[in-house]
Amino acid sequence: MTAREEIPLMRSVLSLMIAILTSLGLASGASAQEKPRPGGVLNWYVYGDPGRLDIHLESPLSVQQVLAGVYSGLLHRDPDDPTKITGDLAERWTVSPDGKVYTFHLRRGVKWHDGQPFTSADVKATLDRVLNPATKSPRCGSMLKPIVASAEAVDPLTVQVALKFPAAPFLEYTASAWCAIAAKHVLEKFGDLSKPEAQIGTGPFKFKRYERGSVIEWEKNKDYFRPGLPYLDGVKQFVLVGFPTQLAAAKAGRVMLWDTWPPMKKTDADELQRARGNEVEIGQNSINTIFLAYMHTQKPPFDNPDLRRAVHLALDRQEIVAKALEGAGIPCAVLDPKLAGEFALPLEEVNKLPGCRQPKDQDIAEAKRLVEKHYPNGVDVEAAVRSVGNYVDRAQLVLSQLRKIGIRGTIKTYESAAGFAVFGKGDFVFLPTQDRAMVTVDPGDLFSLVYTTDAGSNWGKWTDKKVDELTDRGLRETNREKRKQIYWELQRYLLSGAPSAVPVAWVEGYHFVDKRVRGYKFAPTVYDNNTFMKVWLAQ
Amino acid sequence: MPEAAERVGVAARVTGARPAPADKGWWDRLRWFTTSQPLGAAGALIVLLLIVTAVLAPALAPHGPKDAAFAPYLAPGAEFPMGTDHLGRDILSRVIWGARLSLYVGLTSVLFGITLGALWGIVTAYYGGAADSASQRVADSLMALPPIILALALMAALGQSVTNVIIALTILLIPTAARTLRSVTLSIKEMPYIEAARAAGTSEWRVIFWHVVPNCLSTYIVLFTVNIAYAIVVEAALAFLGLGAPPDEPSWGGMLTAGTQALETAPWMIFFPGLAISLTVFGLNLLGDAIRDLTDPRLRGGLG
Repeated sequence: MTAREEIPLMRSVLSLMIAILTSLGLASGASAQEKPRPGGVLNWYVYGDPGRLDIHLESPLSVQQVLAGVYSGLLHRDPDDPTKITGDLAERWTVSPDGKVYTFHLRRGVKWHDGQPFTSADVKATLDRVLNPATKSPRCGSMLKPIVASAEAVDPLTVQVALKFPAAPFLEYTASAWCAIAAKHVLEKFGDLSKPEAQIGTGPFKFKRYERGSVIEWEKNKDYFRPGLPYLDGVKQFVLVGFPTQLAAAKAGRVMLWDTWPPMKKTDADELQRARGNEVEIGQNSINTIFLAYMHTQKPPFDNPDLRRAVHLALDRQEIVAKALEGAGIPCAVLDPKLAGEFALPLEEVNKLPGCRQPKDQDIAEAKRLVEKHYPNGVDVEAAVRSVGNYVDRAQLVLSQLRKIGIRGTIKTYESAAGFAVFGKGDFVFLPTQDRAMVTVDPGDLFSLVYTTDAGSNWGKWTDKKVDELTDRGLRETNREKRKQIYWELQRYLLSGAPSAVPVAWVEGYHFVDKRVRGYKFAPTVYDNNTFMKVWLAQ
Repeated sequence: MPEAAERVGVAARVTGARPAPADKGWWDRLRWFTTSQPLGAAGALIVLLLIVTAVLAPALAPHGPKDAAFAPYLAPGAEFPMGTDHLGRDILSRVIWGARLSLYVGLTSVLFGITLGALWGIVTAYYGGAADSASQRVADSLMALPPIILALALMAALGQSVTNVIIALTILLIPTAARTLRSVTLSIKEMPYIEAARAAGTSEWRVIFWHVVPNCLSTYIVLFTVNIAYAIVVEAALAFLGLGAPPDEPSWGGMLTAGTQALETAPWMIFFPGLAISLTVFGLNLLGDAIRDLTDPRLRGGLG
């Protein structure tokens, strides 16, 4: 089976997921009889202040979420069926017979928010930017650099992208919200896209206001290239950092939608249901996000692989999932079978491996032995934690477990954006908890994002030739069965070794949609379909 | 101190209250204190309990305060008298260890804050002049800022640690102590015995530390007692706002924060640390009031 055959299969898995969500009442779609009503402002929240706003240079969801409606991509996930990839700025595309050259034909008459015309030069400028080795682009660049050789503007409305090899996930990657197309003239004017005034896109909404720590506001783009859209006059995203505040806002009806991170836990969902009754639709779903514990491989004590292995062995993922996620998660999995399907190592095998198995006695004894071998009196480490979601609670659980093997951690907290800046520079020893959301549903995503030497989220500076080689082979392999074997080998290797990022669990949780919100569809990743271009508010 | 007893006796005769049994043993003194200041005695008992709990925390706590080894959200019962929190930690053990942290932070910050503030106030008031005036403007500037905002700003700048909480609280307490002790010193330095000491050629520093400081001691003690409660509340507030001691340290304020996430499902998570804070502050305030009454010449012995 070829890589191109994989996509329909992957879609079928996703379609099933979306169907389940819909049956749970999670996907809020307008019924056929209802005519979309223009007007109104949708309110929701972002879990932390985004800080720097460069969609290509940053990696937190908070950045993508506050810019989602401002930009368009070459491709995107279909707002009516987010399991499908369709054209956005590209009207159509063709693929060369060898699968190595993609030609994108762009829409005519598209204007940037400042009135300038959109052309293929903008697409080339964007791709050159993220592909530039000097540009550390942790999401789009991290995905495209290994597979894309070059991009050329053939004429003002045609772009050709040459791949290094026929890569299965290229279209998935290109459709990612992180690969938003930026304006060449804006990049030239501002140098980067960090500032609010540089947020000039072609999306359904214009970036109107950014009050740091308070609110991000979009207003309707009346010149949007899809006539009649968007329906909403605007969108307001309130920066709500503490979980109690987020839940209180949801209970009070100030937040109309919760399809973001962190997901609600069961008790929160029950509390919300009691408060809002029939006004909201609540359901459980995956958010395509993995909970990792990072160790810096070039700083003591975790420069020693024995210590990293000890952490892997000592962590009781089942307890962490039960307590911190209230059971909504898949413990120890490197890939989530619900999302990656057969590419995920079967859980029966995962749960028998050292570090993942129950009971923990044998693994804890071995972990203790490994720590004592190098640190007879135990070792103190500083645990860096971003104060978002329930990270602080999770960190306390992780540290409580590690104390049993002689690793004594003290927590140092960071504000969301400040934490990312510190982690990106590698100024940490241990991150007991950090979620990484996948950008696509391709099984290779995680490895390119976290585990390879050049991965955008390889914060622990880990280098392992075998992982690099297997990840590269996985990207190039077009035979489904062989690709599966490559990823199985990778998963076994990570679970039996001493990587920098220890997989703790795949995160699931509860989300809600206010029943006034119509036309909203849940997407396979938290980054997709949050432009609200087809969302409208019922009275 | 016979002189002191004599003074108390004089005051008692004026107000008609019973004098302190100066020539009796500690038991009689205790009985006198209990009967003349019953609320103060109750406060002292609470404070004593707090100290015992803090000192003996490792022996008293049934479990480790950071051990998340039990089922979460267990309601108070025989096994866990105060229940367990959202991570499955024994709340009783955390409240007991929290007493240690609160007392440590309270006592240390007040010791440094009030002492440094007192010395600042006494010395500048004694010398007076431009230095006194300038130092008072500094105190004005610090006092103009709302205390919790100042503490939050300091914590944000210094970073989250128990030591930094103490530093922030110390900075918060210094101007109050400086202002109070300055006013006391201004009246003391006009006293004839100070004039006599200076006339006898006693050095300035000797006058300050041998004659002024001892006479400020009663004010210092009252400030000290009252501000421990204040420091504990500010520490709890900082922890509640996420800028106090590191989150895994068992602090009462931090426990309150965690409890707000489960108000409906596990109200005991906020009830017990809240009770601990209230009782401690109540006890310290009662004791502080009693000490103030006992050391205030206008009230001495009369309001038992």
